[in-house]
Amino acid sequence: MGGFSAISAGNGWLIAALGISVVFFGLASLAFIITYFPRSIRWWNDHAQTPKYTVELLRSLFSRRKTEATIRADTGEGHEPGGLDDVEEALRLLTSHMKEPFKLPRLIEVAEQRGLARVHSTINRLLVKGTMVGGADGLFRWAKGSEKEGPVASKSKESK
Amino acid sequence: MIPIEELKRYEILADLDPAELKFLSGMAEVTHAREGEVLIQAGLPARTLYILQEGNLMVAYPDGRAITFHKPGRLVGWSALVSPTRYTASVTCLTDSTLITFPGSELLRLVQRNVAMGTKIMRNISKVLSRRLPFLQEEDRQRLRKGR
Repeated sequence: MGGFSAISAGNGWLIAALGISVVFFGLASLAFIITYFPRSIRWWNDHAQTPKYTVELLRSLFSRRKTEATIRADTGEGHEPGGLDDVEEALRLLTSHMKEPFKLPRLIEVAEQRGLARVHSTINRLLVKGTMVGGADGLFRWAKGSEKEGPVASKSKESK
Repeated sequence: MIPIEELKRYEILADLDPAELKFLSGMAEVTHAREGEVLIQAGLPARTLYILQEGNLMVAYPDGRAITFHKPGRLVGWSALVSPTRYTASVTCLTDSTLITFPGSELLRLVQRNVAMGTKIMRNISKVLSRRLPFLQEEDRQRLRKGR
């Protein structure tokens, strides 16, 4: 026995088909990985380059979950426990220890250390409301009574 | 990919013609960031340019000064187009935000290949830079002067 009959007798066609399939799926998987490789490298460069940054990212995710859970438990649907006025008061207290005008990133850092909930969005609301204003020098201060005229954001040159 | 009509809404891309916008729309992607998320870290290699589509951002400079953006169309991450392509400020989301991203290297290649388009984009970026110049550190200012 030889030639095609020998191939058929030894399940050669089936083995050949199996081999072709294995090679095809192998190459398809390789192509898929190569296609997405630049994207994953870009993500790695942008988001996870330094261990310190990754740790901060994980910590911020964890603290946000904790904050949201606290809000749901405390108020049901409120934006922050005690409402905007209470948080504003807490922020005013914190800024009283800093000189006015104050540095916004520093205020956020201190407020987070003190465990204030949703610091970023609260400060954003105060800025949009005009309660807190940004100066052209990049420093921030509390608006005087007459300055609160609706949704005025940072008064820095950039907001022109 | 972002529709051309969407890109045209933004001041920084408003003077580009449809063919030029088509190039940009192919490389643009939408990204979402959560409140408090640090989008850009000062000092790290600048690889992405962002346009704010929705949300609020804080740009914090290393000396502690900051500016906040509350309107769509604000540009952050311009360092991706200026040598030595390192971010000069950190950007944090004040609320959940949506941004359009452009990979810096691809955009830079496009700008270098297409001079007319590159001139328009760089002119618009220089307008943004001139507004932020007071916040930049002296070394960054020198870097910009050398780049000119």
